[in-house]
Amino acid sequence: MNCLMKILVCIKQVPDSSEILQVDERTGRLAFPPNAAFRMNRFDEFALEEALLIKEKLSGTFVHALSLGPERVSDTLERALGMGADHAIHILYPCEGYVSPFTVASLVAACVRPRKYDLIMTGVMAEDTSACQTGQIMACLLDLPCATSVIKEEIRPERGEILVQREIEGGSRQTVRIDMPSLLTIQPGINLPRYPSFSKVMRARTYAQELISARNLPAVEIREIRTGLRIPRPASQGVLIEGSPREKARKLINILHEKSLLT
Amino acid sequence: MKDPSIYIIAEQKRDCIAQETYELVSFVRLIGKGKNPVFLLPGNNTERSAREISQKTGCDTVALTGNHLEHYNSLSYAHALMEVLAKEAEAWICLSHTSMGYDLAPRLAVLLDAACITGVESVIDGSLSRPIYSGRFREEIVPKTSRVVVTVLPGAFRPCQETPDSAGSVRVMKTPFRETPSQTLGASGPVHTDSTLKDAEVIVSAGRGVGKRENLFLLSRLAAFFPRSAIGASRSVCDLGWLGHKHQIGTTGQSVSPKLYMACGISGAFQHVSGIRGAQTIVAINTDPQAAIFQVAHYCILEDITTFLPLLIEELSAKTEDLHENPL
Repeated sequence: MNCLMKILVCIKQVPDSSEILQVDERTGRLAFPPNAAFRMNRFDEFALEEALLIKEKLSGTFVHALSLGPERVSDTLERALGMGADHAIHILYPCEGYVSPFTVASLVAACVRPRKYDLIMTGVMAEDTSACQTGQIMACLLDLPCATSVIKEEIRPERGEILVQREIEGGSRQTVRIDMPSLLTIQPGINLPRYPSFSKVMRARTYAQELISARNLPAVEIREIRTGLRIPRPASQGVLIEGSPREKARKLINILHEKSLLT
Repeated sequence: MKDPSIYIIAEQKRDCIAQETYELVSFVRLIGKGKNPVFLLPGNNTERSAREISQKTGCDTVALTGNHLEHYNSLSYAHALMEVLAKEAEAWICLSHTSMGYDLAPRLAVLLDAACITGVESVIDGSLSRPIYSGRFREEIVPKTSRVVVTVLPGAFRPCQETPDSAGSVRVMKTPFRETPSQTLGASGPVHTDSTLKDAEVIVSAGRGVGKRENLFLLSRLAAFFPRSAIGASRSVCDLGWLGHKHQIGTTGQSVSPKLYMACGISGAFQHVSGIRGAQTIVAINTDPQAAIFQVAHYCILEDITTFLPLLIEELSAKTEDLHENPL
């Protein structure tokens, strides 16, 4: 069926691996080494894939991808275009130091309010900061109903509603009926995100991205600040088993024997 | 300046008060400057549960009731809570970081012009500390607003133990029904259930650090050395399709309490660790010395799975053969 639906997927760019990150405990800032690689937040990959699956099912659906961040974010938007998004919007924002979910949500909401999307989707959280906030704040600022941790959705365009299942504790599920326009935050595992072919990614490099400076959006008042950033000390209970790999294996076997865990 | 009011949003699980609600009492003791919190319990027919809270904690409790609050819904619950919260100029509103808490907290924060600080694990010198980058770092956050909404990680604080001298007051407040653009229709039990994990004495569990699906046979071979063993997995391994979701351990999977838990290539994000708190002995194998799993493990091995497990299996086989040749 033809329903002309506009979907926006909000994507965050995150460091590819947190192992290379350094914390300057004095300044309380995270340092990215010059060779740091970045990629799409995995939770948002599931949201984008779900939007693309909807587009394949309901012809006349447009999928826009949006990301907020410094210049490097355009690489992640390129990947979104390579996966199949129709249009990319980049809100240019320096993102040095702590960025509040409220700031991100406010800027994105201000940008997308006049665009009247039928559905906004994003990952349930970001891998790096795990706040679980941005989607819900955006929904509230845009006066949209919202469902989080969505593991299944059934769009009923003729009734202007979506039936969703939220995944809650212990793998139980909650069923929610929600009017469109609305916002869904997507739980991982809802699908298997596609891996775009090299040629599609290459072609995506030639697509123009819409660039919006955060300076041209209403300023957001700071509601909380980060006062410290540190590396947690390991709990004293843990014993580090040392030696060559084989020695470690032998030591572990001895420990398991002593604890009668091996017979 | 007067101290802010402190509210705890209580949560029910199958007609009982969730343990996480009582953990919040320990949290507010750290931020509350001795002020007693007030519990708000939204739901349908929650008077009995409200009484339970007031008796266990000695705190005043308000049951916000209505047929429309039968199931959790962010809009109807937010409307009900705002009946009480809207009048507070200075307040801390505390929730558990559960599927209800993280769903509701940001909406309340927007409605109250409040700072929203989620996934808090501890309180350090008045600032709220929360794990980021899968527990590799901790950030400390300080709110700058007069109203603050906080969610606290389940299991981060012990539930309150002390028996109060007297029960708190209980008030039942009927909240008006309002049309909302979303309705919660109901809830169903877990989709993937399997008692193998629950009954297992030894669980060998796979994380993304296993590298690829083809390496999982190493875990099966290791598990075979233990009677009553099972294979577990982190959420991301199941989402990748390497193992079925019935193997998943953590917040949205199963909680397990084996005698031995061997975490292979698991980073140890809070969502996973909260499912293994009952394990008696935790062995963690990971290449990353900063991996959060080492903060909870009893024995830490800094190795790659593909190097270490074949050696461990080899040594275990040698030992078993030894026993066959020289029985005790």
